[in-house]
Amino acid sequence: MSSDVRTFFVNTAQVMLLTVVIITITFLAIKPDPNHYFAGSLLQISLLENTPSPRIILAGGSNVSFGIDAELMQQTLGLPVINDGLHAGLGLASLRELEEYIRDGDVIIISLEYNLFANQDVMDGDPAFLSDWIEYSPHRIKYLSNPWEEAPDIYAIMLQRKVNRQVNTYLFGGSLNKARGVFVGTKYDLNGDFIGHLQEASMNRQKIPATPYPVSGLQEGIFVFLENFNQIAHEKGAKVYFEAPASRKSNCKATGEAQMADFFKVFKERLSIPILTPFEEVCLPNKYFFDTEYHLNAQGRELRTKRLIENWIRVTAASK
Amino acid sequence: MLFNSAAFLIFFPVVTTAYFLLPHRFRWMLLLAASCYFYMAFIPKYILILAITITVDYFAGLSLEKFEGRKKRWVLMASILTNIGMLAFFKYFNFANENLALLAKFIGWNYPIHSLAIILPIGLSFHTFQSLSYTIEVYRGRQKAERHFGYLALYVMYYPQLVAGPIERPQNILHQLHTEQRFEYQRVTDGLKWMAWGMFKKIVVADRMVLFVNPVYNDPTQHSGPALVFATLAFAIQIYCDFSGYSDIALGSAQVMGVKLMKNFDHPYFARSISEFWHRWHISLSTWFRDYVYIPLGGNRVTRPRWAFNLFITFLISGLWHGAGWTYVIWGALHGSYLVLSILMEPFWRQLSALARLDRLPRLKIVLSTLTTFSLVTFAWIFFRAASLNDALYIVTNLASGWHAYLAQSWHTIVQEGFQTTADLGAYAIVNALFNILTPLTEESRTVLALTALALMILIVIEVLQYRGNFLEQLHQKPVYFRRLVYASLIAVILILGTSYASVQQAFIYFQF
Repeated sequence: MSSDVRTFFVNTAQVMLLTVVIITITFLAIKPDPNHYFAGSLLQISLLENTPSPRIILAGGSNVSFGIDAELMQQTLGLPVINDGLHAGLGLASLRELEEYIRDGDVIIISLEYNLFANQDVMDGDPAFLSDWIEYSPHRIKYLSNPWEEAPDIYAIMLQRKVNRQVNTYLFGGSLNKARGVFVGTKYDLNGDFIGHLQEASMNRQKIPATPYPVSGLQEGIFVFLENFNQIAHEKGAKVYFEAPASRKSNCKATGEAQMADFFKVFKERLSIPILTPFEEVCLPNKYFFDTEYHLNAQGRELRTKRLIENWIRVTAASK
Repeated sequence: MLFNSAAFLIFFPVVTTAYFLLPHRFRWMLLLAASCYFYMAFIPKYILILAITITVDYFAGLSLEKFEGRKKRWVLMASILTNIGMLAFFKYFNFANENLALLAKFIGWNYPIHSLAIILPIGLSFHTFQSLSYTIEVYRGRQKAERHFGYLALYVMYYPQLVAGPIERPQNILHQLHTEQRFEYQRVTDGLKWMAWGMFKKIVVADRMVLFVNPVYNDPTQHSGPALVFATLAFAIQIYCDFSGYSDIALGSAQVMGVKLMKNFDHPYFARSISEFWHRWHISLSTWFRDYVYIPLGGNRVTRPRWAFNLFITFLISGLWHGAGWTYVIWGALHGSYLVLSILMEPFWRQLSALARLDRLPRLKIVLSTLTTFSLVTFAWIFFRAASLNDALYIVTNLASGWHAYLAQSWHTIVQEGFQTTADLGAYAIVNALFNILTPLTEESRTVLALTALALMILIVIEVLQYRGNFLEQLHQKPVYFRRLVYASLIAVILILGTSYASVQQAFIYFQF
């Protein structure tokens, strides 16, 4: 080996080592943001760990965290109720995490956004959302659909988002945090409900696009997953129910009543999970929506929760 | 294969290591095989186009040395027709056909020829021009015909510059490919540094700019002046960092293997005139057109009107070279017009400069001329980037619209929120005023604003240092640990700020040409 080659390898190794050191220090030095919307997931996990069974666990995307009042359910039903809803962008990862906390006597009410049924990529989750979520609890990497394959990208994105946050703080005094609007991680109640939007005015109704819900072309993978989830819950002595996601009338109309009905028909045919929501209650008037076609405002949340309580009592009474 | 892909991260070290381990006589085979693999990563069957042009030009080169007079000219014509024929068919057939169909419709003639479903071979214009320069140079007697088919194939297909240049001349490359290259520490590491800098420009800056450009240019009619201006400025940065980034990676990777490619960019946005801009932007193409189109037309050794015509026509062809579309033709025509006007109005500018006493303020004159040149170039980019002529015309006619509302709203935001600013909110009012109300800035692009600002700061500092002197030489004079830290930091910045894994990985813009 010539001296030039030897020098090259030694110096390259030094530069690479230094690069690894810089990246590691950067990664470790920037802590998770306590104000991020996903910071609330730590509270939800702590509730899942520490609340005794039997209990009701509400699971799903942000249609659950924004749109169901676990506190009201708990007061009405006299059972501990935990809101474990967070974000549809996490795909099925948050349900995989929930599997670990299911105990004998638990009741799990799942309410998944339609997008999760119609798109494999949505089921796998958005890498940016997943990296933010994993940042709060690194062992969550195991809940990804292909952890080994996805981990390098997830950590790279996580590092980038950490740096972005820090640079924001240096350059703009953290001012861009305000761009988050109501999505703040400290605004959860003791049942895990997100309450940051309750005191805020709803967005102009016309500004929420009346796009159709993706209720056709349903993916086989989601049915396999949910049936498997139901099976695991059953083995642990828990029961699983499905609650229709908060659905906005204009968007239901754009989708078409027949298509909406087909979705629930296929759901019933493919899965052994009972649906709590009667079809006529699936779509709610536009005035009950906060900022998107899945997020209810305070009034919508109250209406949906009361209906859910009634439906829950009706279905459980019938099953007895 | 993209330079900014994971595949290239494996391809490059494997090929380079094998290159230095192999005896010199086998290296051309390795590089040719690697170049074929590199090209076939896009659409494998299109390698046949290269095979045809290389074979034709190989025999054309040998014949050009053998023949004289008329026969020699016929051989050259055959080579040019083959090369240009390929280019015309794959790149311009549908464009010409669609325009003929429109014309036929206009005059009420039933036009029978339909458009073809052709996918443009990647980098076709680049390797066609490179191949052409070989036969033209042999014809002119400035280059000996290459006897070794493999080396000629390698000259056309050398992977660092195969799909987006620089468009080389045989005099510069062929002898370097024949020469046995040894592993030289300084040359290899300098090459790697150029590659790293090119990667920074591409995946940290250019691909980040896409987030600001695409939302506007994909649907310009939804936007008014401020957003259109902002997106156009972002595109000016994007295209520079994208293309010069590619060239830096190409130059660097060739340099690692001992081949020095021609410089393709030399800080074009620091140019003080359009003429200077073209001496600094895509230099290999500008000089190609200068040598093979402009000078054969008579160059500047003709009457002034003819000179202006030569310039204009050269830029019109250059526009068409970039793409089969009227927007590219107009882009070329604009640059041609800028140059013609600058020639015709030179006495006027001189008088104006004297009248304004700008000669006494040389720095102000430099700033003004640099800004004017940048503005003209950026204005022309509108046609280059717009998806259609209608889009381009909308953008051009709406650049001045909406400013009153934007400024009023910005001022209102600053005043309203400025008074509520806390230490935590910092400059929120200003950031919000400048960007938040620009419709193209989605929530995601707002959150990447900070990294964009950081990336641009790094870019500007290094570009200015490079412009002022030989940055690498200056860096070599610094203590060794400082240098290591700079290199490691650059790699870390690329890895951390790079957009490759953030679902916005982009192909290089110039690949489509």
